[in-house]
Amino acid sequence: MLGRVKGAMADAAETLRRVFSDPPVREVRAGAFRLQSHAAAGPVAESKAGHDPLSAELRIMPSLEQAARERGMEPLRAELRAELGWARWGAEATVLRMAPLVPGLAARVAVPPLPGKAETRGRLDPPPRPAARRLLDLLSLPGTRRVDPLLKGGGGRSGLETMLALPVAIQGEDIQRLPKGIWMRYSLQMVRNTGENVRNLEVLGLFHLPRKGVGDLRHDARRGRILVRLEAEALKAPRVPFILARRKDDGALLSCYLEDS
Amino acid sequence: MADPIKLAYFMAVKEGASYLGGLLVTDPSGIPLDFRYTEPITPTRLQSILYGKSLEPHLKEEVIQKTLLKELKTAPDLFILSATELAGGWSGDARFPALAVQKSQEQPLSKPGDAFRAGPRELLLQVSEGAAPLRVIFAASVDTVAQEQAVQKLLEAGYHMDLTEPLERVAAALQSLVVKEG
Repeated sequence: MLGRVKGAMADAAETLRRVFSDPPVREVRAGAFRLQSHAAAGPVAESKAGHDPLSAELRIMPSLEQAARERGMEPLRAELRAELGWARWGAEATVLRMAPLVPGLAARVAVPPLPGKAETRGRLDPPPRPAARRLLDLLSLPGTRRVDPLLKGGGGRSGLETMLALPVAIQGEDIQRLPKGIWMRYSLQMVRNTGENVRNLEVLGLFHLPRKGVGDLRHDARRGRILVRLEAEALKAPRVPFILARRKDDGALLSCYLEDS
Repeated sequence: MADPIKLAYFMAVKEGASYLGGLLVTDPSGIPLDFRYTEPITPTRLQSILYGKSLEPHLKEEVIQKTLLKELKTAPDLFILSATELAGGWSGDARFPALAVQKSQEQPLSKPGDAFRAGPRELLLQVSEGAAPLRVIFAASVDTVAQEQAVQKLLEAGYHMDLTEPLERVAAALQSLVVKEG
């Protein structure tokens, strides 16, 4: 027991000795702590005028000057103008001041409820039905002008009158095709009606004409027909044989109706 | 005794912007029995545009011709028109055999009454002695039987009249009417 106390005392003594013993000294060279002074350039204010004044350099082009002189134009003149930039900036600058926030001005804003049903916008309305207009008008039937063939009463414009004003071509019959007996009867009637000798007559044609209403007659020898101008009463008159002949001695035309029976 | 043949000669002409037509009915001698004509029809510009190329055939066939035929008291035996209009695809009225008659330059056939068929719708017909035969062109609606019947009527009428001449009269009458209207 006593031995342990001694040992502990010895350890404590050794510990105290080490704690309070001198710290180790190391020699430091003095040169290492020498202050080194560095010279730093101080702030230098450099004043600059906002904008360099404008300067114009007058250059003369001999050729232009000569040309201007020759044309009588005034030489170009340069005007020197200067503007101070800072002065202009100061005059046009606007100082904006922000109003400080004031507490207590906040107000409660009620949030509007969402609509329960969405409203549709931009819906296209059905296009209006165009009103139909009929462009295709049928060609209307023309009014006809009808004239009774009997031509009762006169006056007015008559289609048949217009037609009767035109000569009607009537073809001659082929005499050679007539039965000999009929032709003999016709020749006899011709002689009796004209009073001419049959030897002095040259038959030009046998035609069927209305008994009445033949206003004018012209012989078309080249085509073997006659052109007749009819009157209204010719339309209802019976058609009877009509013979046209030429007198050989003087060339006069003779004609007569023949009895058909 | 059978009724005498009635020949209807139809012509429609265009004068300026107007159309008018005439229908002449003659007896077998060529003497007029009836003549009717329409007032001038002037289609509007809109109608001309809408009808286009069908305007003229429509006017001639549907408007002018039918209007004139409707006014006739008795139906004609033959409906004769110009070869030009018939060649344009004339449909016409099926009740009357439509045909065109024109002079030809062909040699005469042997005797009157002879016919030479040049096609299903065309034939040469010798009407009178020694003259050039007539060229007869039928509309498409006229069948062979109807063509034969029409030929007999043409021969009967052609004995007394120049079958082509009345159409010239219709043209002259329409021309005179146009002058009157003007």
